[in-house]
Amino acid sequence: MQNLSFVGKSTLRIDAYGKVTGATPFSGDLTLPGMLHMKILFSMHPHARVLNIDMQEASLIPGVVAIFTARDIPVNEYGLQKNDQPVLCGPGSTRVDGDLVRFVGDQVAAIVAESEEIASLARGLIKVTYEDLPILSDPVTAMAPGALVIHPELGESNICVHDKIRKGDIDQGFALADVIVEDEYKTPVQEHAYLQPEAGLAYLDDEGRITVQAGGQWTHADREQISHSLDLPLDKIRVIYPAIGGAFGGREDMSVQIVLALAAWKLKRPVRIIWTRQESIVGHGKRHAMTLKTRWGATKAGKLVAASTEIIADAGAYMYTTNKVLGNSTITSTGPYFIPNVKTDVYGVYTNNVPGAAFRGFGAPQALFMAESQMSKLAEKLSMDPVEFRRLNALRDGDTLGVGTIVPGPVSVLQVIDAAATKFDWQPGKLSASTLTKNDAFRRGKGFACGFKNVGFSFGYKENCWARIELRGISEIEEATLWHGSAEVGQGTHTVMVQMAAEATGVTVDKIKLVASDTATSNNSGSVSASRMTFMSGNAIKGAAELALKKWDKEERPAVAEFVFYAPETTPFDKETGFSKPNFAYAYVAQAVEVEVDTETGIIRILRVVSANDVGQAINPAQVEGQIEGAVVQAQGYAISENYLSKDGRVLTDQLSTYLIPTVLDIPDKVESVIVEVPDPIGPWGARGLGELPFLPLVAAITSAVHDATGVWFNEFPLTPERVLRGLGKIS
Amino acid sequence: MKLWQEYLRPNSISEAVQALTSSPGQACVIAGGTDLLLDIQQGRHSNVHTLVDITSIPELNQLEVRRDLLYIGATVSLNRIASSPLAIEHAQALAEASRLIGGPQVRNVATLGGNVAHALPAADGTIAMMSLDTQVLVASQENIREVPLQKMFLGAGKTALSTGKELIAGFCIPLRKKNQASAFKRIMRSQGIALPIINLSAWLQREGDRIVDLRIAAGPAGATPRRIASVEDLLRGNTIKDGLISDAVCELLDQIQFRTSPQRATAEYRHHLVKLLLVDTLLEAWDRAG
Repeated sequence: MQNLSFVGKSTLRIDAYGKVTGATPFSGDLTLPGMLHMKILFSMHPHARVLNIDMQEASLIPGVVAIFTARDIPVNEYGLQKNDQPVLCGPGSTRVDGDLVRFVGDQVAAIVAESEEIASLARGLIKVTYEDLPILSDPVTAMAPGALVIHPELGESNICVHDKIRKGDIDQGFALADVIVEDEYKTPVQEHAYLQPEAGLAYLDDEGRITVQAGGQWTHADREQISHSLDLPLDKIRVIYPAIGGAFGGREDMSVQIVLALAAWKLKRPVRIIWTRQESIVGHGKRHAMTLKTRWGATKAGKLVAASTEIIADAGAYMYTTNKVLGNSTITSTGPYFIPNVKTDVYGVYTNNVPGAAFRGFGAPQALFMAESQMSKLAEKLSMDPVEFRRLNALRDGDTLGVGTIVPGPVSVLQVIDAAATKFDWQPGKLSASTLTKNDAFRRGKGFACGFKNVGFSFGYKENCWARIELRGISEIEEATLWHGSAEVGQGTHTVMVQMAAEATGVTVDKIKLVASDTATSNNSGSVSASRMTFMSGNAIKGAAELALKKWDKEERPAVAEFVFYAPETTPFDKETGFSKPNFAYAYVAQAVEVEVDTETGIIRILRVVSANDVGQAINPAQVEGQIEGAVVQAQGYAISENYLSKDGRVLTDQLSTYLIPTVLDIPDKVESVIVEVPDPIGPWGARGLGELPFLPLVAAITSAVHDATGVWFNEFPLTPERVLRGLGKIS
Repeated sequence: MKLWQEYLRPNSISEAVQALTSSPGQACVIAGGTDLLLDIQQGRHSNVHTLVDITSIPELNQLEVRRDLLYIGATVSLNRIASSPLAIEHAQALAEASRLIGGPQVRNVATLGGNVAHALPAADGTIAMMSLDTQVLVASQENIREVPLQKMFLGAGKTALSTGKELIAGFCIPLRKKNQASAFKRIMRSQGIALPIINLSAWLQREGDRIVDLRIAAGPAGATPRRIASVEDLLRGNTIKDGLISDAVCELLDQIQFRTSPQRATAEYRHHLVKLLLVDTLLEAWDRAG
C-alpha cells in the first residue's frame, strides 16, 4: 500500500460550486459587446454537387453583416486524422471536389448578422442549386468494386481503412475445435446527446490573436486545424475551453470552430454561434454502425482455439477518427482472452451517412458485443458456466494478443471477473426462486460480460502530455500553480489533476491553482479521450513537480518547472499480419446484470448492474463511481432505447423526443461499482484509464441476461420492445 | 423573428375572450405552453401575433365538486389533478393519465385544457376523459356553452373551437357512484418524455358479475380521440368471462386501424399491445368497481 495524502480521496470537485449554482459560463453563455451572431446553412442533401449559391436576397436583409462560403476559406479542408472535409462546401473551393456535399451535415454557408433572428431569416433566403448524386447509405454496397466513389479526390475506392490480423494458423485452429459458434451481429449508430449542443464565441484578443472559445477535447489540435484552414501561423490562433457540457468523443472533431474563427478574423468583431439540438444531432459524428461476422472455436475442455472475424464499419462521409476507432475494434475483437489462432479483417467504408466518430469506447463496444456474445454462446454449447468459461480463457500475464505481442501487464481480467462475480453472488445455473416473479409474463435472467481497452490512441502515435508547475513561498511552499492544456468535459479530470499535483508537491489541494485549457498559457497536453488523461496528465504532473521541487531545494523562488511525459513507444499494425506493439497500457472491466423482460410488451427493465473496474489506483473514488454509473446509463441507452433511424442518409431521429436517451425513470434500479486496484507499473500512482471501460461490456451482459430469461439470443440491438417481441415470435 | 408580438394576461374569462377577438393578427390561448411554444418555435404553427395567457383567471384554476359534477378548470395543472383526492375519487382514469404525461416539470405547468385543445389522437388526458362522459365548457363573447368531449374534435390537431373567439374554460365529469370505476393505462417506449405508443381508458358500472354500462376510449385510433362503441355494445349488459373478453378483443382489433409511426411503433406492434391493454384496463376498472 502506498502512503497517500491526496490521491485516493473523494475530494470535492473543484468545479462543483460554480456548476451547481449556475455561475459557471458554458460557451453558449459567453457574450461580448458588439457581438454578432452566426447561423450555419447545412446541406441537408446527403450527396450532391453545389452548382450555385445565390445569396443576393439574403444579403439585402438589414442586419446581415456577411455570408461566408467555400470561396472565403483560404485552405478549404480539415480533419483530425485526415484533411478530407471541406470547411464549407461549394464552388470556388481551394480543394478539388470541395463543391461536393457528402452528408446532410456538410456546411454550405455561414451567415453572420446583428441578431440570431436575422441570421436565421437570411439563411432561409439563400438559394442553393444542387445537382443531386446517387446516395450511398449502405457500406456493403459502397465497398463493392465499381461503386460510385464518394471521395474521387482521394482514390478509387470507398474503403478508407482495412486492418488485418493473421496470427497462428486459422485452419489448423478450427481443426482443433470441438464446438464452433458462427454468427452475424449488427450494432447501431449512437448519438452522443451531450447536455450542451455545440456553441462558441470567437474574437480578437488583446494581442490580436483570433481566439475561439468553444468546447472541445484537445485545445492544441483544434488550434492546428483552424490554423491550417485559415492558412495562418499557429501563434495567430488561440483556443480556450470554457466549461464543457459533456463530450464523450463527439467534440474531438471540429464543428463551429473554423467558421467562427474566420468570421472574427474577417469582421474584426466578436461572433457567437449556438446550435439547436437538431443541428447538433445532424451536425456532429456518431458511433460507427458495424456489421460483424464471426466464427469462434473451442475445445471440449473449454479452451478457445480460433477466431475468424470480418467487421464492416460505416465510416460515413469523412474519416474523422475512423482509423483509430477501427484499430481498437481490431484489437478488442478477440475479447480479453487468449486465442492462439486469429484471422481478422476490419473495414471502414465511406458512405453518405453522418460520419462515424469517436464515442466512448472508440470501436471497442461493437467488437466486444460480438466477442462477449460469442463467449456466452460457446459456454452454453459447452454446458459450462459463462463466468467459469471466461476465467478459463482470460488473458494472463505473458499471453499474446491477436497482434502477436505480449500484452503489457499486469493483466487483471481474472481479478475483475472474480470481483464482479463475488459482488453479484454469481451462481451457475438459473436465478434462485426468490428472484423469480410471480407473473408468468415477466421473466428474469442474469448475464455476464467482460471488456478491456487500451489507454490512449497509440498504434505508433507518440503519446505525450505537458504540464508546468510553479511553487511559491519563502521557507515553506505556501501555494502552487499548475498549468495544463487539458479539457474538463464534465468527467472531473481537472479535480483529479489538482489532487495529483497536491500529492506530487505536498501542497494541499486548496492551495493549488489550476490554469487550464488555453493554448496561450499551456503547451500541448493532448486529447481528453481514449481513457488517457488521468494516466498522461498524472505522469506529466509528477515529472514537473519533481523538477520544481529540485529547484525549490536549490532555493529558486518561485520554483518553476515544465515537463513533457512521453508514453512508451508503440508500433502500428503490420499491413498483412497486424503484428505490432500497439499500446502501452490496458484497463479491464467485468459486469454482471440482472434483467426483467415483460414478454407481453417487450419492455426490458434492468434490475441490477455490478461493474468491477480495475482502475489501477482510484485517484478520486467518488468520481470513479460517477464514471461507472454514467457509463452504465449511457450504455443502457445504446442497448435498449436509443434507436437512431436514418433513411438514404437523412436523419429521422433528430430530436430527443424521437431519439430516446434514458431518463431517470429508465435507468437500472441499482448500479454497484466495485473498484479493483491492480497498479499499472507506468501509471501515475498505479492509475489506469477508466472513462470508457464501464461502457464496454454492458450490451453483451444485457443480451446474455435476456437470453437467460427468454431463451432467445439477440444479435442486433437496441432491444426496443418491438425487436424483443419479434425475437420472441410474438409479432412477425 | 420573435415568436409572438404581444403577450396578455387577462384576469377574467370575458377579458380573455375580448383579448382574443380584438387582436390585430392571429391570437392564441396559452396556458402551460408546453406544446404550443414548441410548435411555434419549430415552425409547426402559423405566425402568432398575440398570446393570451389564461392562467391568472381564478375560475379556470378551480378543481371542485359542483352539485353532482366534478369541475376541473382548464388551467389546472396535470400534477394537481394527479394528486387531487377529488380527482382520484371521481375520475381515477384521469388522475392516472395526468401522472403519466411528460416529466415533473412539464406536469407542473401543463394543463388539461391544453391537452384537449391540442387535439392529438392519443393525448393521455383526453383519452381518459373520453371514458368519463366529460362535458367541455366553452366560453365565448356571448356565453358559456357545454360541448360533449367527443364532439370537440374535427381532425388531427383540429378542435370545434372557433379560433380567436372561443376558449376552453373547464370540464365537468359526473361524480362516481357506487359500483362505478375507471382505469387508464398506456404503453410507451421510454418514461417521461416520449409520446405513448398506445393508451386506453375504461369506465364501467357493475352489478354483481355483470357490466351494466361502460365506456372505452383508445388512442391513437384514428385522426381524433375516439370511443370504441361497438366494443362497449358487445360488453354492455354481459357477465365478465374469458370468452366475452376475447370477443371484445377481436371486436376492438376490427375497429381500430393502427398506423405505423416511423419513429415510434409499427402498426403491428400496436395491434399486439392493444389486446393486452384492453384486458388489463378493463379488469382493473372491474376490480375497482367491485
